[in-house]
Amino acid sequence: MDDQPGLSDQYRMSSPWPLIVVLGLLFSELGLLFNVFPVAVGGLLLFVGAIAGIVLESGYADRPWNLLAGLGVALCVLGALVTVTQLDSVTLDAITTVVGQPNGIVGRGVELLIAGIVSVVIGAGGRVAESESI
Amino acid sequence: MVEAQLVLTALMGLFLAGVAVWLSRIEDWRSYTPLAGGGGAVGEESGYAHNEKPSGLIRWLTTVDHKDIGILYGVYSIIAFAVGGIMVILMRTELLTPDEAIIGSQFYNSLLTSHGITMLFLFGTPMIAAFGNYFIPLLVNAEDMAFPRINAIAFWMLPPGALLVWAGFLVVPFTDIQPAQTAWTLYTPLSAGVGTGTQAGVSGLGIDFMLLGLHFTGLSATMGAINFIATIFTDRGSDVNWANLDIFSWTMLTQSGLILFAFPLLGSALIMLLLDRNFGTTFFLAEGGGPILWQHLFWFFGHPEVYILALPPMGLVSFILPKFSGRKLFGFKFVVYSTLAIGVLSFGVWAHHMFATGIDPRIRASFEAVSLAIAIPSAVKVFNWTTTLWGGNLRLTAPMLFCVGAVSNFIFGGVTGVFTAAIPIDLVLHDTYYIVGHFHYILMGLLAFTVFAGIYYWFPIITGKMYQKRLAKWHFWLTMIGTNITFFAMLLLGYLGMPRRYATYTFGVGPQQIIEVLHQVTTLGAFILLVGQIIWVWNMIQSWYEAPTLQDNDPWDLKETGQFTNEWGWNERRLETAIADGGEEEEATMTDGGDPVDGSADAE
Repeated sequence: MDDQPGLSDQYRMSSPWPLIVVLGLLFSELGLLFNVFPVAVGGLLLFVGAIAGIVLESGYADRPWNLLAGLGVALCVLGALVTVTQLDSVTLDAITTVVGQPNGIVGRGVELLIAGIVSVVIGAGGRVAESESI
Repeated sequence: MVEAQLVLTALMGLFLAGVAVWLSRIEDWRSYTPLAGGGGAVGEESGYAHNEKPSGLIRWLTTVDHKDIGILYGVYSIIAFAVGGIMVILMRTELLTPDEAIIGSQFYNSLLTSHGITMLFLFGTPMIAAFGNYFIPLLVNAEDMAFPRINAIAFWMLPPGALLVWAGFLVVPFTDIQPAQTAWTLYTPLSAGVGTGTQAGVSGLGIDFMLLGLHFTGLSATMGAINFIATIFTDRGSDVNWANLDIFSWTMLTQSGLILFAFPLLGSALIMLLLDRNFGTTFFLAEGGGPILWQHLFWFFGHPEVYILALPPMGLVSFILPKFSGRKLFGFKFVVYSTLAIGVLSFGVWAHHMFATGIDPRIRASFEAVSLAIAIPSAVKVFNWTTTLWGGNLRLTAPMLFCVGAVSNFIFGGVTGVFTAAIPIDLVLHDTYYIVGHFHYILMGLLAFTVFAGIYYWFPIITGKMYQKRLAKWHFWLTMIGTNITFFAMLLLGYLGMPRRYATYTFGVGPQQIIEVLHQVTTLGAFILLVGQIIWVWNMIQSWYEAPTLQDNDPWDLKETGQFTNEWGWNERRLETAIADGGEEEEATMTDGGDPVDGSADAE
């Protein structure tokens, strides 16, 4: 952090990200456990966003986008896995049946999937928008 | 239902937008605020004004400075200690009479559950982390903790954890959700939703909240432990090596190792229990893994947790006791070895909590052997403390009194523990007040006492002030007498067969009249403890705000006996730098008025 141009070492003693990481994790867990869609998706987005932010701030990355997209992919995989456990067989029919009549577990899988997709989109979008080299 | 979802979605969106706005404002401050300007009111009064931090509340919400985080941990833990204390006062008031007269058994069960969880996870573990955060970097001459931001994350996990643990109490006036009534051990099948009461259905949400809260505190402890290990291993100053590492850091290092192996297991077990409760898994149900599996997993974490809560306090005694004995710690090496030995053995004793469950007698015997063996390193410590005192030049300051009191209480708590390590005795005393008395002698008698010792000892560094000596003595004697009345009476109640966890004692378990008198004596002791703690809190707050700034860099005269350790050296450099800079400390010294409160060690 100290070598960032134009900023003094005031950065070392203070960071807004830890609190946001915790809030993100809190809402993710509450939302997923009690199956509350907006809280789960919002919490997961806040959580992955805050991780990307804190890693960027700590100087472990130059830009947050790759990490954000990567975490989004991880959420998608997790969501897909959770949903797949509820399928009788991996066929289109089975998927239609489950999505048509979602049970609690599918609901959580979908929450993970949607949060993952949004993160991937934001991450990819950020990459495209900031495509010039640093 | 759809409308509620929409409202919730809108609220969540607003919240995310609020976070974004707040972030941009913070970034704004960091980019454009000139370095001059100073801290806010809180910063200035505590002597912690760092110009590189924002002022006011934002400073405390965003700090990653180990000293600030240490203070946050400390304040949080003391609030939790007060909440847990008020809970137990209500319970002890109910137990004044044999029948259900004042708060009722349902509320009693809720308080019982939350009192245990609060004192262990929300007071004990974080309070030790408070000392660790503030003083480990100073003791090992590190600039800060190895991972300052993870340090802040670990702290901020705790307030939501506490709110979730207490959630049942907070929502009970508005909903039909009840607080968890499972006792702190959360034994299955009760906690998995089987049985009557508040365990299943909507009202059982209190248990889900509590499990989630516990999960958060576990994450916090694990992250803190990783940080302590990394700091002690990699961030030591050039003048600190393994040979001269102080005893408190040794115990924190060992404790962090225990946390690293124990807490992730608790986290996994909690998630399994949550899955059993909400997703139809059968980890702990009779048709699945069985209820005893929970006890194994819980106590594989739970017994190391006892040492997680006991090793750093032992380190505090080993650290502070010699300072007021005028001599170095006797047998330093063996105190370190005994710490490590306890750390290793602590993972081999968990089934002594399960002697009465009908597990294989051969397994029981091996756990009895290890449980008895762990008394040896514990006794090594006691003998080393005693030998340090022997022939020393004792100065009975408040921190010293609390250390000596802690050693005395630890002997009671330890010896009663050796008895229950023996299977035949345990089968008689299991689930009686004897066990409650035994572990409270450790948790109140050792842990809380050393916490008080540490706070008094380092009060001049943390606040730049000195506490009021007379009030501290009152605090000590009320706490010492209160502790021994309360918990010795519990040992006797246990011998009479009084079972633990009950809100009433109208059933015939023993001589009714004696049991009633002993319960009343226990309650009297609890009230004495309450008065002592009120005096302590008053002393801390008033001294912090009103005591004159301390001018002595060495208030305990540590230089005389060559025990002026690193953290006091850091404090001395800080004060000297402030004076050379013409900083706040000098101003405070020059304009300082009024009578000294407990100004120097000479007065001690």
